[in-house]
Amino acid sequence: MSKIQEVKTMVEAGKAKLVPGLVQEALDEGNAAGDILQAMIASMGVVGDKFSKGEAYVPEMLMSAKAMSKGVDVLKPLLTGESSSSLGTCVIGTVQGDLHDIGKNLVAMMLESAGFNVVDLGVDVSADKFLEAIKQNQNVNLVACSGLLTTTMPSMRETVQTLKASGLTGFKVIVGGAPVTQEMADEIGADGFASDAGSAAVKAKELVKA
Amino acid sequence: MLTKRQNLLETIRGGNPDRFVKQYEFMHMIMEVPTGLEMKYGQTWKDQWGITWKWPEGQIGMFPVHDDEHKVLKDITEWKKYVKVPPIDTSDEAWAPAIAHANAVDRNEEFVTPFIAPGVFEMTHHLMSMEDALMALYEEPEAMHEFIDCLTERELAFAKVLIDKIHPDCLFHHDDWGGQTNSFISPSMFEEFFLPAYKKIYGFYKANGVELIVHHSDSYAANLVPYMLEMGIDIWQGVMTTNNTPELIKQYGGKISFMGDIDSGVVDFPAWTPEIAAREVERACKNCGKLYFIPCLTMGGGWSAFPGVYDKVSEEIDKMSKAMF
Repeated sequence: MSKIQEVKTMVEAGKAKLVPGLVQEALDEGNAAGDILQAMIASMGVVGDKFSKGEAYVPEMLMSAKAMSKGVDVLKPLLTGESSSSLGTCVIGTVQGDLHDIGKNLVAMMLESAGFNVVDLGVDVSADKFLEAIKQNQNVNLVACSGLLTTTMPSMRETVQTLKASGLTGFKVIVGGAPVTQEMADEIGADGFASDAGSAAVKAKELVKA
Repeated sequence: MLTKRQNLLETIRGGNPDRFVKQYEFMHMIMEVPTGLEMKYGQTWKDQWGITWKWPEGQIGMFPVHDDEHKVLKDITEWKKYVKVPPIDTSDEAWAPAIAHANAVDRNEEFVTPFIAPGVFEMTHHLMSMEDALMALYEEPEAMHEFIDCLTERELAFAKVLIDKIHPDCLFHHDDWGGQTNSFISPSMFEEFFLPAYKKIYGFYKANGVELIVHHSDSYAANLVPYMLEMGIDIWQGVMTTNNTPELIKQYGGKISFMGDIDSGVVDFPAWTPEIAAREVERACKNCGKLYFIPCLTMGGGWSAFPGVYDKVSEEIDKMSKAMF
């Protein structure tokens, strides 16, 4: 098995302690940092897919993300310019009035693993805070709004509609959370919807490439 | 007409109930039990374990705060340093209201039922944060086993006092084990870490006069039902429609009963309507049938987030009883 393949396998298996050493070995063999990074991104895609299908659970996803993050730490000094293969910047947060963060954190982790720079605004985020973050960060091409409570769906609607009416451009809006459906996403004017963290990463890539 | 208690027993034993069990009617909750559980709407407070909670105004629930400053257990390998197990109040003064309430219940009609929350799994993530708790199951399994044993011992110590004081004949116990579409952890991980804890806890209650164990997890948890059977759960309350409740009844009816199938998220929301409540009750009752099933909102208590919803669901269950029995 090639070293890159080993890195891939160990990220999928969530072996955070082994991955940094394997990444270094893959570099020592002469592999490009960008190729190793792409291999790890592909691994996280596999993990996300398994999660969406119910074949992997939250701990497995967390461990794989941690393994990838440890691997990226080794690559960071070598990743410059295009080789960092950033998909852009995603501003993410749980909408105002809602303090749930588990689902939002999982999505943030998967988006980061897919190649986005993630600006996590946390929980209970007002529409104005989302707007401010879009203005303050460079290359924001995705805004992700999360909400778990039926009571905060009006806040989700307000956030999406404020973003869309702001006059700011260059970004798509993706929404998700237990009560959110595709129909609701369409109705409030979001560009995309995902039902779990694995499919959020897939949908996010699709939206920014469209 | 059967009493609420008799009707429940007929339903879960595959006998001849004369109507649907109407949500929580068979459980007479003794909310005065001094568990230390606090629910302070509109406030921020610290509980007996040192966990900081927030319940924002206008919201339907409370949340533990898990930034670095507020997280209680910052390093699982040093859990003994961080976790201070709160003492159990055994004073007559603290228990008098619960004892008086329990004594006033007609046990031929209803089950005397304490409300216990949070459970062992929830305690791990309330103290550590969900991410830390779940990763620790992989990274520091020995420390997690020790920590879970400690939480289990605390529950057992409380159970002993509870049984001595009010002699409950039913237990309503919370521990959410999943999200809408899957369990949080795999069945094998659940079997390793949490099944032993619950075999001890529920086994103790059952060995000491508690006839019924009702476990609340408003989630997907169909993949954990075999463990529910092993730990002695009689009724899984909170079963969401995502579990395919009719199929579970077909597979496990007679060994365990299912209470729910009316998703609170679908019925109990700000713009709720009586029509939605009626539609969901009818669907649940017709699909799930008369035995091993209790139509109920998935909410973990005999109430609703929005005024009128719980009562409307009960009213619709009465209608279905008339139509189907």
